Amino acid sequence: MLLFRSEEWIERWCKKNNLERGEVLSVDQVWELSKLWYHDRLSMEYHGRTVEQAEEIFRQAGLTSAFWHVQR
Amino acid sequence: MSNNALLWQIRAFVYNHFADTIRPPSVEEAAQHLNIEIELAGTLYKELHNRHALFLEPETLNIRMANPFSGIPTDFKVHADGKSYYANCAWDMLGIPVALALRNDAVIEAICTESDDRVQLAVRDGQIQAQAAVPGGDIKSILTSDLKIHFPLPFARWYDDLLFT
Repeated sequence: MLLFRSEEWIERWCKKNNLERGEVLSVDQVWELSKLWYHDRLSMEYHGRTVEQAEEIFRQAGLTSAFWHVQR
Repeated sequence: MSNNALLWQIRAFVYNHFADTIRPPSVEEAAQHLNIEIELAGTLYKELHNRHALFLEPETLNIRMANPFSGIPTDFKVHADGKSYYANCAWDMLGIPVALALRNDAVIEAICTESDDRVQLAVRDGQIQAQAAVPGGDIKSILTSDLKIHFPLPFARWYDDLLFT
């Protein structure tokens, strides 16, 4: 995941590299996601996550589009 | 101790070693810490790689990523607890202060893709603020809501090519 100064720069980068635009979040949004995703990473109790647990974190962060789900 | 218990014990050791020393432990260091054979430690490293709990350099037992920590220099540097860490990506640069349990404030230095703007983010009391260098060398405050992070692949494809993701 790369950092950009604005959405305009993302458009330029995607065009230059012939890549489709993915999902774009603000640093504020990713900061909130990080708190949910990484808060227990150093803990002995952290044993990885299931797809369902990951999707629940995305939901809590307000990320509910198909981009954040695995089709089952 | 079962190999499954050892698996999660060695995972925790890798992460805390990264947090304490800013670098990943070698398989020899992990074996010594857990008082196990180096061969077993290597098997556990590979199993953690297979489970996406860390990422080994191809054909080696060297840890390249234990997200959010990076084993190699990147464009995302995090200063916290008197140490300087490298993050794997723009998401992980925010993940490091969180993984360190926000024990202290942090400063993140990052380079914006394409525009090459240098950005500094300050984490204070769990809040985040940003400023950017502008032509002429001056610094100006910018809104963190204006800075964008691009997720190129949907969640379902993140582990197809982790380096690209």
